Amino acid sequence: MSNTPIIEVSNLSVSIFSKNKEVSILNNISFTVKANSITAVVGESGSGKSITSLSIMGLLPKTISKNTSGSIKFNGNELTGLNDKEIQNVRGNEIAMIFQEPMSSLNPSMRCGKQVLEIIQRHTKLSKSEIKEEVISLFQKVKLPQPERIYKAYPHEISGGQKQRVMIAMAIACNPKLLIADEPTTALDVTVQKDILELLKTIQKETKMSILFISHDLSLVSEFADEVIVMYKGKIVEIGNTKTIFKSPKHNYTKALIGARPSTEKRFKKLPTITDFMDNNIDKEVITDSQRQEQHKILYSQAPILEIINLEKEYYSKAGWFNKPNAFKAVNDVSFKVFPGETIGLVGESGCGKSTLGNAILQLDKATSGTIKYNGKDITNLSKQQLRKLRREIQIIFQDPFASLNPRIMVGDAIIEPMVVHNIGADHSARKKKVFEILSAVGLDESSYYKYPHEFSGGQRQRIGIARTIALEPKLIVCDESVSALDISVQAQVLNLLNNLKDQFQFTYIFISHDLAVVKYMADQLLVMNAGKIEENGDADEIFNNPKKDYTKNLIDSIPKGIIK
Amino acid sequence: MKIENNSLTSLALQKFKRNFWGVFSIVLIGLIGLVSVFAYVFAPDASKNANQMHLSIHSKTPGFQVQMLTIPSRQTSNQSFFSKLFFGVDNLDTEIPISSYSIKEGMLSYMEYAVNGGEGIEKQISLSNFPNNDYQKYIDTRTFIFGTDKYGRDYLSRILIGSRISFFIGFVAVFISLIVGLIMGSLAGYYGGKIDAVIMWIINVTWSIPTLLLVIAITLALGKGFWQVFIAVGLTMWVEVARVVRGQIISAKEMQYVTAARALGYKDYRIITKHILPNIFGPLIVISAANFAAAILIESGLSFLGIGAQPPMASWGAMIKDHYNYIILGQPYLALIPGICIMLLVMAFMLVGNAFRDALDVKT
Repeated sequence: MSNTPIIEVSNLSVSIFSKNKEVSILNNISFTVKANSITAVVGESGSGKSITSLSIMGLLPKTISKNTSGSIKFNGNELTGLNDKEIQNVRGNEIAMIFQEPMSSLNPSMRCGKQVLEIIQRHTKLSKSEIKEEVISLFQKVKLPQPERIYKAYPHEISGGQKQRVMIAMAIACNPKLLIADEPTTALDVTVQKDILELLKTIQKETKMSILFISHDLSLVSEFADEVIVMYKGKIVEIGNTKTIFKSPKHNYTKALIGARPSTEKRFKKLPTITDFMDNNIDKEVITDSQRQEQHKILYSQAPILEIINLEKEYYSKAGWFNKPNAFKAVNDVSFKVFPGETIGLVGESGCGKSTLGNAILQLDKATSGTIKYNGKDITNLSKQQLRKLRREIQIIFQDPFASLNPRIMVGDAIIEPMVVHNIGADHSARKKKVFEILSAVGLDESSYYKYPHEFSGGQRQRIGIARTIALEPKLIVCDESVSALDISVQAQVLNLLNNLKDQFQFTYIFISHDLAVVKYMADQLLVMNAGKIEENGDADEIFNNPKKDYTKNLIDSIPKGIIK
Repeated sequence: MKIENNSLTSLALQKFKRNFWGVFSIVLIGLIGLVSVFAYVFAPDASKNANQMHLSIHSKTPGFQVQMLTIPSRQTSNQSFFSKLFFGVDNLDTEIPISSYSIKEGMLSYMEYAVNGGEGIEKQISLSNFPNNDYQKYIDTRTFIFGTDKYGRDYLSRILIGSRISFFIGFVAVFISLIVGLIMGSLAGYYGGKIDAVIMWIINVTWSIPTLLLVIAITLALGKGFWQVFIAVGLTMWVEVARVVRGQIISAKEMQYVTAARALGYKDYRIITKHILPNIFGPLIVISAANFAAAILIESGLSFLGIGAQPPMASWGAMIKDHYNYIILGQPYLALIPGICIMLLVMAFMLVGNAFRDALDVKT
C-alpha cells in the first residue's frame, strides 16, 4: 500500500448561515485519505460527516454556506476556490460519489443503461456502440444479473440492491481516483448490505482507487475500512488505524459508540449510553441465562394475551380492465401467541410483511382471513365502537418520530387528547397532572408540556410519542421499528426507557425491527419472517445460537459484528 | 414560568409580519373593507346608492367645483340612524347646480348651471320654501373630487359605495366555496373509494359548466340581481377548493400522525377537523386569496355584461360598463378610476396570498 495521500484536508472549517446567524458546522478538521485504501468517517447525525464529503465535492450550496478556512488538496491540487467549471472536471471524472438513497438518486424516467451511458459520453470520446459495450461490462463488474436486461430496465423494475449496484457502476464509470460513499448501505437490508460491501471491496482492490466511506455504523466500518475517522459535533475526536481504534479506543465518545450498540453475546440489564461513558458510570449488570429461564417459566405458564391464528392479508394489484387482479399475500398463514409481560421480537427484511402484520393486529388494516384473539375474544370483526374501546388496550409506537406527531398541536395537548377521547381522568386538571407524571416517566421536564414537536430532537420526540401511547395505559404495545430512525446513542436510551416502562407498567411488547441485534437484546420470544411467512419461531437466544433455517443463518451472519472480539 | 408561543401558526405570523408587501396589502384590504362597510359615512353624497343626479353637470373632470342649491323637501322621512348609516339616506331633497343667484322681494332667483358655459335658464323660488327663510344654509360650493359620471352623480361616492359589491362578492363567494369545498373535498379525500369517485364526478361536471352560463341560468330562474351573482360565483368556485382540499387530505392522510390518531381511537370527525385540516391550512388560505381576487374579477365582468348588480346600485364593473366609451372621447378617467380600484384590490389579495404561502412554507 502506497502512502501518498490522495486527499489532504487541513484545518477545514465550514459555517452555515440561517437568518443571518452563522452556525459553525465543521470545526478545524484535518485528515488525509491515502491512495489505494479505504478510509471511513463515522459519526452520528449532525456530526458533520456528510458536510465533509460535500465540501470535498464542492457541492455545498454557496448561498447559505461558507468555507471559512482551511484547504482541501486533491492529488496535490487545491480544490477550494476553484470555479464551477474547474470543479466539474474533477467531479465525476476523478472523484465520484454514491448516495444513501438508491431509490431517489436514479432518474425514474430514464432507462438504467442510458443513465450510465450519459456519464461515459460526457467524459470520453468513444462511439455509441463502444460505450454500450463499456456499460454492459461495467454492469458485469458490479455483478448485476442479466446486464442486458438491466441496461433496458427502468429503475422501478429492479430491486434496491440492484439500484445501488447501478449507482456504483455510474460512479466507477470514469475510473475515478476517489470514490465517496455516503451511507451507501443504510437504506438496504442487512443481507444486501453485506453483498454491496463485498462488491465495493473487490472493486477497490481491482481498480486501486481510494474510498471515503461515510457511515454511522461502527461495527460495519470495522469490517471494511483500513482507517477510521470518528467525528462528533463537527470535530474529529479520534483518527487512526481501524484495529487500534476498535481494540483500544482512546476517546470516551468512541468507547460509547462501540458500547452503545447492543451486543449479541451478552445481555446487559441496562444499555450504556453516551453520557454513561462520558461520566465513566457504566452499569455492567448482566442478565444471566438462568435468570432468564426462570422468568420465562412464569411468563409462559399464563394464558396468552394475544393469539394469532392462520392470519392472512392479501393485496390486489389491478393489472388492467380485462385481466384478473393479481393477489399478493403480504402476510401468509401466520400463527403465534403472545403472553402477558413478554417482549416478542418480530424480525425480517423489508417487504417481509412484518409491518402489515403489526397493522393487522392493531386493526388499522383489516386482515383478509384468519383470527386475532385478544384475551380469548376474536377482534377481527368488531363494530367501530367496540374497536375504539379496544384501541385503549392495544397501542403502537411509530418509527418516524418526526412524522408521528401533529406539528400544530402542543405536546401537552397531544398527550391529553387521547385521555379526553377515552375518558381517562376526572377533569382537565387531573389529566394535566397525569401528563406531567408521564412526561417525567419518559424523562422530559414539565416545560415540554407547552412546547411544539418541532422544538425537540429526534430522541425527545420519540419520548413524546411513547408518552402519548402510555397515556392510554394500554396492555399491549406494538413497537413498529421504533428505534430504527434514531442514532445509536439515542437508540440505547430509548431501549432502556422502553424496558423501564415495561417493568413499571407491566406492558407487553411486540417489537418489530429489521435490526437483529436490537431485537435480540429486547426479545424473549423471536419470530423470523420472510416473504409473509414465519420462518422460525422460538426463544431469542436459542434461535441466535442454533438457527435451524438457512434464511435465519444467513440473516445472523450478515449482521456486522465488528472486530471487537 | 414564561411560556413562549412557538406554534407553527405564530411562527408563520412572525414571518408574515416581515414581508412588507404582504403587510402593506393586508392593511390596504383592511382599509377598503372599512370603507366599504361605512361607505355612507365617507361618501360626500350619502344618498341611497349615491344616486343624486344633476344632469346639467354630467361627465365633469376630477376636482370640478360648482355652486349647489338644495331645495328641501316638505316630506319628512322616518329613517332610523342605522339605516342611514349602512344603506344611505332616502334623499327627497332636490339639488340644482347654479351659476349665480339673487334675492328679490322674498323670491330667490337663480341661474341654472349650463353646459359648455352657455346661458342657463333663470328660475325663481319663494323663500318660504326654506325653513326660517334661511336660504344661505342651502347654497354651498360643491367639489367633485373624482368628477361626475354621465348622470352627473358624484363619482367618488359611487366608487366608495361600489367597493361594497366587489368586497362582499369576494367574501360571500369565498365563504360559500369554502363551506362546500371543504366538506366535499374532505369526504372525497378522507374516505376515498366510491365516495371519492362520486364527488369527483360532481366536481368534474360542475367544472365543465361555464360560470357565465350558470349565472345566466340562475338569473333566469331567480331574476337579475347581485345576490344571484354571489351565489353563482360561490357555486362555481367550490370545485377548486374541493380539489385542493382533496389532494392535500390524500397526502396528509398518509402522514404517520394521522395513523397515530387512528390507532389512538379518535373518531373520523376529530381526525379530520383537529389533525388534518389545521395542517392543510396553508394551501387553503392561498387558494382562498386567489378565489377572492377571481370573484371580484368575475363580478366586474358580469356587471360589465349587465347581468350583475342592477342600476341604480353602484358597482365597479357596471361603472366601467357605463363609461368605457368615454375612453376615446377624451375622458378616460371615468373608466380608469374603477379599473384601477379593481386592480388594486385584486393585486392586494394576490400579494397577501403569496405572502401567506411564503410564510406558511415550513421549509424556509
